This record gives sequence, C-alpha cells and structure tokens, in this order.
Amino acid sequence: MFLPQAMTEIELVVPEKDVLAVTELLAEQGVFHPVDVSHLSLEAESGSEDNWQQRSAAYSALERRVLTLMKTLNVEEGQPSPELAKLQLIDIDLVSLTIDHIEQEIQEITRDLEQGQKRLEQLQRYIYQLEPLMHLDIDISALRSLRYLVALLGIMPADNVERLRTSLIHIPYVLLILREENRQAVVLLVGARRDAGILERAARSAYLNPLKLPDDYRGTPDQIIAAVRAGIKRMEQHIADQKVEIERRHNTLGRQLRALLWRLRISRMVAEAVVRYGKRHYTYLIVGWVPTDRVENLSQQLHQVSSAIFIEARTPVRHNENQNVPTSLNNPPFLRPFQQLVTNYGYPRYAEIDPTPLMALTYPLIFGIMFGDVGHGAVMTLLGGLLISRRVKVLRGLGDLGPLIFLCGLVATLFGFLYGSVFGLEHILPALWLRPLRNISDILLVTVITGTALLNIGFLCYLANAWLARDWGHFISGRNGIAGIVLYWALVGFVVKTFAPNLPIPLSSTIFGLLAGIAGIAIVFEGVLSNWIAGRRPLLESGFGTYLVQAFFELFETLLGFLSNTLSYVRMGAFAVAHGGLSAVVFILAEMVSPSHGIGYWLVAALGNLVIIGFEGLIVGIQTLRLEYYEFFSKFFTGGGASYTPLKLLSQAKE
Amino acid sequence: MANVTAVQEYAVLHAIVRARYSTMLTAATWETLCHARDCNALLSMLAETVYAPYLQIDREELTPRRAVYQIKKHLADTYNTIIQSTPESRQHLVLQLWRLYEIDNLKAILRGIATGATWEQVRYVLFPLSYFTVLRPEELLRTGNVNAAVELLRGTPYYESLSYALERYTTERSLFPLEVALDLDYLRALWDDVNRLSGEDYQQAMRIIGTQIDVTNLLWAMRYRVYHHLSEEEIINYTVPFGYKVRDEDIRTIAAGGDMTQVITRCYPDLPDVRSLLREPQRGLPELEIQLQRYVAKQCQTTFVGYPFHLGIPLAYLLLSEFEIQDLTVLIEAKAAGMPAEVFKPHLVLGWAHN
Repeated sequence: MFLPQAMTEIELVVPEKDVLAVTELLAEQGVFHPVDVSHLSLEAESGSEDNWQQRSAAYSALERRVLTLMKTLNVEEGQPSPELAKLQLIDIDLVSLTIDHIEQEIQEITRDLEQGQKRLEQLQRYIYQLEPLMHLDIDISALRSLRYLVALLGIMPADNVERLRTSLIHIPYVLLILREENRQAVVLLVGARRDAGILERAARSAYLNPLKLPDDYRGTPDQIIAAVRAGIKRMEQHIADQKVEIERRHNTLGRQLRALLWRLRISRMVAEAVVRYGKRHYTYLIVGWVPTDRVENLSQQLHQVSSAIFIEARTPVRHNENQNVPTSLNNPPFLRPFQQLVTNYGYPRYAEIDPTPLMALTYPLIFGIMFGDVGHGAVMTLLGGLLISRRVKVLRGLGDLGPLIFLCGLVATLFGFLYGSVFGLEHILPALWLRPLRNISDILLVTVITGTALLNIGFLCYLANAWLARDWGHFISGRNGIAGIVLYWALVGFVVKTFAPNLPIPLSSTIFGLLAGIAGIAIVFEGVLSNWIAGRRPLLESGFGTYLVQAFFELFETLLGFLSNTLSYVRMGAFAVAHGGLSAVVFILAEMVSPSHGIGYWLVAALGNLVIIGFEGLIVGIQTLRLEYYEFFSKFFTGGGASYTPLKLLSQAKE
Repeated sequence: MANVTAVQEYAVLHAIVRARYSTMLTAATWETLCHARDCNALLSMLAETVYAPYLQIDREELTPRRAVYQIKKHLADTYNTIIQSTPESRQHLVLQLWRLYEIDNLKAILRGIATGATWEQVRYVLFPLSYFTVLRPEELLRTGNVNAAVELLRGTPYYESLSYALERYTTERSLFPLEVALDLDYLRALWDDVNRLSGEDYQQAMRIIGTQIDVTNLLWAMRYRVYHHLSEEEIINYTVPFGYKVRDEDIRTIAAGGDMTQVITRCYPDLPDVRSLLREPQRGLPELEIQLQRYVAKQCQTTFVGYPFHLGIPLAYLLLSEFEIQDLTVLIEAKAAGMPAEVFKPHLVLGWAHN
C-alpha cells in the first residue's frame, strides 16, 4: 500500500500469424501497459510495404474520409456494435474502393452545396454592406472614381473602428458607421484624394476590407440589392434541393458508413498498437508492463492463443529509475479522496513511496487538532456517512469526498472529548486533556511537537525513498537525509538546552553545536558525495568556489526551511484556540439577542454553529492541505510518475 | 465578508501555488546551471530539479529543441492544475492567458504551412498544449494551405480575426497581417477579462496583467517603428489604446516618431540605462525588452508579499514560470552553442542577477 503496485515487464516474442490474436487478448484483459519498442525492428522490416505504420496512416486517412462523409450526410457516430470486440482488420483496398464509390456518389452534390453556401454567404455580405445605403440615389461604381475625394465602403472588426479614427487624427476625413452588429461594422471612409496614401494604409492596417462587387452588379444601392436578393433566392432554392438529395443519401448510406467507421477505428487502433511492437523477420516483439500478480494468469492465456509464443517476464528492482515503470496506485477505495489530493500535487513515481496512506492518517489528525469539538465533529461524521451512502440525490456529486469528511469528523469528535467541547459549550463535558482557550501556551507547544514529529516522518520517508533509489549520497548527506536529521535534532537540542536548561538532556550545548557543524559540512558536500558514490564524474559540475557559494546558500536555505516548517505547525494550535474563541463568540451573540434564552438565543446558536462547521471547517481543511503540501510533502515527495494506462481497445474506441 | 469569501475561494489554489512556487529554481541553482560545462551537464543538473520527470527520455533523443519542448510540459501541467483550481468565475482570465501559447502554436503552424514544413519539423517547435486546446495542429498543417487552415478554425476564438485578415494575406502573401490580427485580438480579450473582475482581484490582475500588456504594447510600437519602419497610422492600428501605466498618448508619441526615451522613463522611472539603450534603438531594443521583462517579473515577485487570497498569486506564479522556461530555453540553446556565461547571462530574466 505504501508503494505503487509491483509491476513486471513482460517481453513477448510472437509469431507473425498470432500477432492479432495476442493483441486482442491483451486488449481484452486490460492489464497490459504497452511500451514502444518499434526502434528494435529490423530496418528492412520497418521499411517494408506491409509496414504497420503505413497501415495505421491508411486507416486513419480512411477514417477521416468516412467522418467527412458522415458529417456531410449528418450521420451520427453512434456506438460500436459488440461483435467489434473481436479484432478483425478491415481490408484497406476494399474499403478504399467502397469509400471512393460513396464519395463519387455524393461528391458532386456536396461540391455543389459547398459552392452554393459560399456564394450565398458572399451575397448576404453584399446585402449587409449595401443595406445602410438604401434609398441613396447614387451609382455605387461612382464611388470608385471620385475626382477630389477617396471613398472606401467596406466591412471591418468593430473593435478596430476607434483605433482607425485615432490613426487618422492628422488629416481631414469622415468615417461613418453605417451598421454595427456582432462585433463587425460596415463603414464608409471618405477623405481628400491628396491623403489617399494615409487613408489606404490606415484602412488596411485596421483590417477594413473594401466592398468588391462583381461587374454584373451595377447601379444604385437599391438596384444592386434587388439583384442580389434575387440571386440569394435562387441560391437558397438550389441549396434546399441539394439538401433533400443529401437527406436521401443519409437514409441509404448512414448505416453502412457507421459500420465502416467503427471497423476502421478498431483497425487503426490495432495498427497503432502493433506499430509499437518490434518486428523481426517472422516474429513480433511486444513489450509492456503488467501488475506482477496478474502475470501468471496472463501468461497462461497467452499460451492458449499462441502455442509458439515466447514469454519472458522480469520484475525490476525499484531503484532503477531509467526504466520509466508506470505507476499503478493500489489504495483501497476509501482512500481514493486522499489519493486524489496526492495526485493533485503530483503522480508518485514507481520507486517512490505513495504518500496516500500517510496522508489518510495525518490529514484527519491535523484537522482534528484544529477543529476538536464533539458536536461539530459528529455533524461532519454524519455528513460524511450520508455522502458515502449516496442516498441524498443532491449530495451525490460530492460522494467521493465522503470518506475524507467522515474521517475528519471522527477525529474532530475524538479531539472534542479531549478538549471537553460540544458545539462550543465547554461546561457540559469534562476535558479529558486540556481546553485550548485556557491553555494557549500548552496547545501551541504540543502542536509544535506534533509538527516536529510529522516533519521527522517526512525525513524518514525521504530516507526510505533514497533507500529505494539506492541513492546513498543523498541518503547520508542530503538536507532531508541523515545529515539533515542530525542537523535538525542538534538544533532542536541546542534550542531546548538554551531555553529550558533544567530539562534532563544528557548532551551539552557544545556537543549539539559540534553535531550541527558536522551535519552542516555533510550537507555542504552533498553534491560531491552523491556524485562520488554514484561514480559520476566530474565531482563538481562548476568550479570549487562557485560550488561553495552555492552550497553555503543552500545550507542557509535549509536552516531557514527547518525553522519555518516547524513553526508552521503552530497554526494547528492557533486554529484550535480560534475554534474555541469563535464558538464562545456565537454564544455571546446569542446571549445578546435573547438574554432569557428564548427562541432567538437558540436560533443564533444554531446558525453560528452552522457557520463554524461550514466556513471554519473549510478553512481548517485548506490549512491542513497547505501543511501537507508545503511542509510535509516537500520533505520527500517528488512526483512526476507516469500513470499506468493499460491497452483497452474497445473502451478506447467508445471514448 | 468579501475577505471571507476570498479566503474560501482561494485557499486551495493558494496552497497549491505556494507549494509549486517553492519548487521554482533558486538563485543558487541558476548560478550552477549558468556554469554548467556543456548542454549535457546542464540537462543532468536540470534532472535534479522539478523538471526531472519531463527529462526522463533517452539522452539521444534529448536534443536542445526536444529538451525545451519537454520542460515546457511543466508549464502546461502547471496551467492545467491552476485553471482547474481557480474559482469558476475567474477561470476565463487564466484560460485567456493560456491562449497565448495556443496563438504562438497557431502562428508556428501557419509559418509551417507557408514554408511547406513537415509535421516532424514543426512538432517540437510547438508548445505542448495537452489541455484546453481548440487546435488540431497536425490536421491544420496537413491542409497545406493557409486559407484552408483558417477555414478549419471555424468555430474557434481565432476564426473571426483571421477571416478579416485573410483578404490581406491573399493579396500580400505575407503572414504578418494574420499574426498581428491574432495578437491584437488576444490582448483585447485579456484586457476585457481583467476589466470584468472586481475588488482585490481586479487590482492585482490589473497590476500584473496590465503591466504585461503595457510592456507588450510598448515593444510592439517600438519594434514596428525601429525594425519594420511602419507609418504612424499603421503603428496606431497595430497597437492597443489601453494599459496600466502606459497611456495611448505614449503609444501615439512613439508612432509619430517622438522621443521613446521620454516615454519609457515616464512609465518606468527606475529602469536603468534607458537613454543609452535607445541611443541606437536597433541594437538597444533587445536589451530594453529584457529590462522590461525583469520589471514584470519583479511585479510578480512582490505579489507574494502581503495578503494572499486573490487572483494575483496564481497569475504572478504563471508569469514567473513562463520567465523561468524562457530563461531555461536561452540557457539550453546557449550551452548547446558553447557560449560563455557572460554572453548569455544578460539575456536572462530571472537568472540574470546572480553574477
């Protein structure tokens, strides 16, 4: 549970004749995460005519052609039929001929339709630009041949109009907005002929596209509009006829196209899977990752579909990072919300501790310390239970958060007993441990100690990760490794010894200072040591001086980090105190509203408690997340792993 | 009450950003990276940082271009996380910020089409947009024709501006009008999104995004004048009239051939060496650009001091992450070309101050 599921790399050598059956089985089982080993193919094979790459490209091209046809005929993709689970590759030549035939059948109609639609758009644009000039008794073509003036009638983005005005500020001009709709404007720009250059440059750079009427449209705006409208009518009729024709084809060809699409899609996916295999003369090399506990079962089934298959399984040691082993997290379902919080930060690598179980322990603990109250905790527990049960329809969307809220509520209830607090009332239950509001320094101290413990768990996780990665350099002298732990505890010891000299600590301040010094030196030489142990040369990537300056700053940063990370946990205590304070305020307000403890008192108390549960609960939840991400994870968790995505052909096709 | 709502809305996002902010490269790391022996050593060092997961591919495949592509994936993941955690009503602004990379990709594809490049040639020049993208780069490139590619963009936020510019492309056969149209549209949409905000979110977004818009607008105006020798009216039409500190008069002064130094020193009085840089603007402009980017970066860094529950924190982090990637790109290319640190360091935005 603390580590991603153990994975085994399997290498299959499959006779050419069985490759499809094997692919089908791998897809059916849905446990095989394929690895691209196409580079291991023999060159002659990869260049051969029967190349799967070419097949995949051909299927893809055919699929696009079918999709285009379906779009033209308004045919829905639908769902693949169940028999498509059996992988049968479609014959490229045959299907190509079929598609050619269908395309020819509808090409003429579609080409006609496309041209008609473009022409219609064009005609509508003319109308759009000319309509504002209706009833003007001038010949439009005369605008082009003015003697002293230049006139530009055209369409432009409405956003550019003001900028166009600004750009013409130095010359006399008239800019009329004739029409403005949907962020486009029809404008008439007029200026002196001597400024023609400026006007044209300004208009062009403002994306003013001038109206260019074909020669057969002449006369006044009214005459041109009438002619264009007649053209539009004819074109609309023509388009309608074509659409009827397309509808007829939709009915006759729809089913066939849908079946073709899914068969092509499946064939393409198979081809894409096989492309990633290595081809060696008469066999294929298939490599991928399978959860170790599924290898035996998969091997047996593979032997059943291919008697000549050769299977080699290899379970890697976790520390070999270069293998890019996919990570499959195997946490129980109730830990999923915590896993989601972890993967929001980063996906664990294979050779790395999965922090989900730790988060499932520490998140409710930190939350409980900050939000300790029997009543508030119980309400949260109930809410969590309700969410888990998914019985309330409106809350179903939040169902995944159920276990998180349930656990947080449970721990908050437990701390409520320890603090003796029920809905903020502190006189009903005795405090089994302490009351935060009355023991502020105690709770702050305890939370710093808790924080120190959590940080040390982080250090231990770092050690475990370094151990798993066999990274001895960082294990020994890393800032979060042994040297870091020694430095941290030496500093803690030094501080405690200085500020609480009466505590029976066996070591003297001098010893703590000495230990801190040794650990500090080890951290300074962390890079050199890890290079030396790993056999990497040169030991120093840059000069010694530069290295020392950098290492000094890093050490300083480490010391600051230790201090800030530890003190950051004080907020747990501060929130516990604030929780008590806020609850007290609710009752003071209730008392002010109704000193006789009437209905007003209970109304304010109930509302106040609801606000505390909802609002303060949220803030505490977020502060907890911050402590997890920033203080805890930063000690050991890197993330950046690749998620395990097994081959599942049909479900992929459905997606 | 507004503060209470802000805390509720931004607390998770703030926690995520803070955690990620702590993983940005430190001054010491920059210093080491700058002094790496060669590109290989640099990549080995980067493999010890937050970029490690993205560099776990075969060393042979890790060419400088591929390495840059890989590290950009970190920024893509960051955007994905931040967009998903941003309060819904403010997601649009972050998404619009993200669109910049989509526009850069679109420009690269259009250039690829115009030059007849293959998918393999274009692929790793693109930003790895795995999330929130409306582009289908391979399909666009496959059209082999700018007009057809624009037609394929119908229904996307880019179609409208491109369709206006397409007529000019058809007559001039230059991608310049298409690219400018995309840029202007992007900046306007970003500005509109900032103006839709209110309260602290508005103040912070205006300070960060507004400054970024200022710098972009100023640089456009200066570049159009100095390098492209465009006329006043063209410069005005190719720039925007809004900004945080930069006023429209400033842009018009530059467009009209006025004193650029005066404009820059009015807007950014603390910027060093402006006069000497603009004495020979052809040579000084690239350095001024870096100075202005450093100014933006500084604005972003100051956001992390003070009250944290506002949109400024994620916006600042995203811009800083972009500068980090930009610097790493310079570094990788410089190391691949065997340049000494003193040559490329002045071109770094975040990694420059550690001499």
